[in-house]
Amino acid sequence: MFNIQHITKQFSNNFILSDFSYHILQGDKVNIIGRSGIGKTTLFKLLLGFEKPDNGTISFENHELTDSKVWELRKRVAYVSQDLSIGRGKVQSLFDETLEYKANFQLKSIAYETLYEHMDYFELPKSLLQKDIESLSGGEKQRIAIVNALILKRKIFFLDEASSALDKPLRIKTIDYFMLNPNFTVLSISHDNYLPVGVEIRTLKLD
Amino acid sequence: MDGAIDLSSFSMLMCALLLLVPIIMVWYFKLGITKNLIISTLRMIIQLVLIGFFLEYLFKYNNWLINILWFLVMITAAGFSIVKNSGLKIKHFVLPVLLSLLIANFFTVLYFNSFIVNLDFVLDAKYMIAIGGMVLGNSLRSNVITLGDFYKSLRKDEQLYFYKLSLGATQYEALLQFAKKSFLSALNPTIATMATMGLVSLPGMMTGQILGGSVPLVAIKYQIAIMIAILASTVLSISLAILFTVPYSFSKSGVLKKNIFQKTE
Repeated sequence: MFNIQHITKQFSNNFILSDFSYHILQGDKVNIIGRSGIGKTTLFKLLLGFEKPDNGTISFENHELTDSKVWELRKRVAYVSQDLSIGRGKVQSLFDETLEYKANFQLKSIAYETLYEHMDYFELPKSLLQKDIESLSGGEKQRIAIVNALILKRKIFFLDEASSALDKPLRIKTIDYFMLNPNFTVLSISHDNYLPVGVEIRTLKLD
Repeated sequence: MDGAIDLSSFSMLMCALLLLVPIIMVWYFKLGITKNLIISTLRMIIQLVLIGFFLEYLFKYNNWLINILWFLVMITAAGFSIVKNSGLKIKHFVLPVLLSLLIANFFTVLYFNSFIVNLDFVLDAKYMIAIGGMVLGNSLRSNVITLGDFYKSLRKDEQLYFYKLSLGATQYEALLQFAKKSFLSALNPTIATMATMGLVSLPGMMTGQILGGSVPLVAIKYQIAIMIAILASTVLSISLAILFTVPYSFSKSGVLKKNIFQKTE
């Protein structure tokens, strides 16, 4: 699905990734670890086209990830970022805006049907929809971002510390949800030592 | 009464005396801007005297080509000033900003002159330069706020912008909320000014017209028309400014270029 070949990425004089290669197949579950500042988030940004590698190539489904191809990929991948900048205004308006995008418009009716289901699973009360995003706790924002990714019915997930602010039972439930679904391709950055059993999870250690 | 009372040399001398008040205050409180204040005052005097002579000839000849050329000079000066004051690089922004000002202001002024004032000669110097100057001058600040706020909040909230892109938004869709926010911060002061007009402030144009001998009711009609013209040209020029500058400011993959900001920040 993703083929990363000999990637080098440098910020000023600091090599973040140096001659890095990795291959990700459909359905893979990859747990990305490594000390902070090593380039885990940068790897996601490279895959989403928000950063460009200095050297090397990335391909997605056997096509090189060009400037135009990257727009296609962004309609296929669900990205839950670490810093939780998911917008302002009411929670409901976040879902509304997401589903107004041309790329997601045809999902609108199904998405609203499954919205409550997903919120319920991640233990978010319906009343949250009328709250301001800025008034939510970190854990609530994380789960809202996860729900927003799930209603889009995407199959590829880039999770950047997506469950770090949740309490342990909920964290386990969240990790299981993604890691145990055979249809999902999951790249997860996590400092968590919990990993579900009974499924093959690859560990990618950056150093 | 025809026109305002001319100000004699003695009057101007009295005016200079009034200038001593701010100069002495600034000097006494050691604000450190005495030199700047004097230089700015001198610049204002020299520029206005020169423009005074220039306008005399402009109004006398009233040639359509010269009128248009002078309006273009005004627009160019405004364009450079907008880009410079919004913290963006002249090199990247001056062309799209000039284009947006050109369209918005020519449209508004020509509309004003032909349909509101009903002029036979729509490029008449008095109307074109005076109305054009009012419209242009008043939309200048809104353009500075819009462009500055739009690009700075994109830089600051880049993660949010990336998040929207990752949800499948087109570039336009991802930028829409940012643009809305910048429009609001630019338009709110203009709208607030309109709401207190007449009560708090007697606008410059009205003051000028009343001193120039117009009856207040005529001056008020012009004031209403000009405020609406300012609003129209402001909304037009800020929307076009965003629309025209975006293609210069993002990479093909939709990432904001980092080299579009002035370095001094």
